Amino acid sequence: MAGRFEIFWHLFIASGKMFLRDRTAVFFSFFLPLVIMLIFGVLNFGAGEALNLGVVDEADTESSRAVIAAFEEVPILEVIPGDLDEELAETSEGNRALVVVFPAGWELVPPGSPTYQPLTAYMSEATPGEGQTALLVVNAVVAQGIVTAGGGSPEPLVVVEEVAGRNLGYIDFLVPGILGLTIMQLGIFSVAFGFVQLKTTGTLRRLFATPTSPSYFLSAQVGSRLVIALIQVLILLGVGIWFGVQLVGSVFVVLALSIIGSVVFLAMGFGIAGWAKNENQAAPVANLISLPMMFLSGSFFPREAMPEFLQQVTRFLPLTYLNDALRAVINDGAGLDVIGTDIIGLAVWGVISFVIATRLFKWE
Amino acid sequence: MTSPQPIIVARDLRKSYGALTAVDGVSFEVAEGEVFGILGPNGAGKTTTLEMLEGMRPIDGGSATVDGIDVTADPRGVKARIGIQLQASAFFEELNLTELLVLFGHLYHVRADAAALLAGVELTDKAKSQVKTLSGGQKQRFSIAAALVNDPRVLFLDEPTTGLDPQARRHLWGVISDIRRRGHTVILTTHYMEEAETLCDRIAIMDGGKIVALDTPDAMIDSLIGRGFTKERTERQANLEDVFIELTGHDLRED
Repeated sequence: MAGRFEIFWHLFIASGKMFLRDRTAVFFSFFLPLVIMLIFGVLNFGAGEALNLGVVDEADTESSRAVIAAFEEVPILEVIPGDLDEELAETSEGNRALVVVFPAGWELVPPGSPTYQPLTAYMSEATPGEGQTALLVVNAVVAQGIVTAGGGSPEPLVVVEEVAGRNLGYIDFLVPGILGLTIMQLGIFSVAFGFVQLKTTGTLRRLFATPTSPSYFLSAQVGSRLVIALIQVLILLGVGIWFGVQLVGSVFVVLALSIIGSVVFLAMGFGIAGWAKNENQAAPVANLISLPMMFLSGSFFPREAMPEFLQQVTRFLPLTYLNDALRAVINDGAGLDVIGTDIIGLAVWGVISFVIATRLFKWE
Repeated sequence: MTSPQPIIVARDLRKSYGALTAVDGVSFEVAEGEVFGILGPNGAGKTTTLEMLEGMRPIDGGSATVDGIDVTADPRGVKARIGIQLQASAFFEELNLTELLVLFGHLYHVRADAAALLAGVELTDKAKSQVKTLSGGQKQRFSIAAALVNDPRVLFLDEPTTGLDPQARRHLWGVISDIRRRGHTVILTTHYMEEAETLCDRIAIMDGGKIVALDTPDAMIDSLIGRGFTKERTERQANLEDVFIELTGHDLRED
């Protein structure tokens, strides 16, 4: 019936509007995961850090510019031009692995030539490892430049063969975990507290005074939370990709998993909200369910780092299934067939949560 | 003085909570266009009686019809025709008054004219405000506006003026009188005798789940005097509330 859908639609829009206007809810479900991701993304744990190379070009000749351009071609060097005093200051602050100075009139010529001048390099005694590594690279680049300038391209001394593979950084591990975590938090907390509040304040009771069944409101809440979860997943995934995460699998599989996960955690959220008489009852239960999963389901660090018995137990947590599936799709491009076990695990949790929720649910 | 076609008929209503009998055989009729008051001390069963008539609470025994519809058989049908202001109710915090009225209209399948409803309870300037920013009297008036979204045949008001200062209470009386003039039947509960005397055509006094008296306020007073009742101190031409209103004026103190 068109009228029924209309009521659902209006309640759905109102639910979405209410969520977006609830600053606490928006902060915890939208901004907090984003902030966590930005922090880890900026710190970029686990990724090989670039070596900061200060370059002081007092020569400014064609040769010096060519060598600096060659430095910039080296992936692990982050070339930062500057004058000597400020670069030395940065070095003593630990912000430069090495500072290379091109003296005035410097030319790219082999030692022994009349115009030959050596480059001067400064490194901090506090970071000798970084300094030595940068120095090796700098020497190699300059030496190769001299050889090349001497005539034609040199014969390679070492032939490199590439092996297929990807370098999965911490951010690649983290982003799927943050997605799973966000879906859980949104499902449990956005209803566990909000809905209980509607019960205690009598807002829900006021809905009972209308001829519309409150189940419309319940389904509108579920609908709006699903849409919000999808939007949130897309935003977080977008930010993750911007940070260099590779989305190997299909975004639609990610969204499908997000919906399945949301349904499971929403059932838990409504179970808590339906059972609890007030916020004081809802809060500890919601935390009791979500906090262990936050740390034991492999959102922030791999479960492999945990003791064996803990791994065996946490394998069956709903968030573990969701995180594993999201990671398989995002990092390895798994399709629905590969993550079948995870989906079955989530489905079992969904059924359990739904049955418990309907048993415990009280409107008043 | 019951009219030939009562809009509310309650017959021997009963409600128990375990061993406690909250409502114990209540019968009355309300005529169309009437303002009917239910008075009584706390725990007398006023709210339970109202909630059974509203279809908000199952009826344990007896029967009730509202606008010809049996409450037990079709509570949704009853709810569609009545407006309810609950004693303790709240509205979604994140929506403003206009949005709330429009949303509630949808719940009745009607397109609510939010501006007109707010004008009717003098809240036009609060159209974009949220309920939590309203004063007690404004909240009650908004609650009444929300109960009017479906242009109800009967308006149920459960202690509409409890907790309000004398100015806000008198102001609400004006609002309720206006609603009555527009042809709505009103049934209300109250603790305030002056309110019942000012607003109600007839009142039922409840105690211990039963109606102990049902008549017009004047007839009740006359009957009491007829039984030889005299006050210890003769009533003067004014009382303390008159003094208070005279000193502080009728103006609302809300913002």
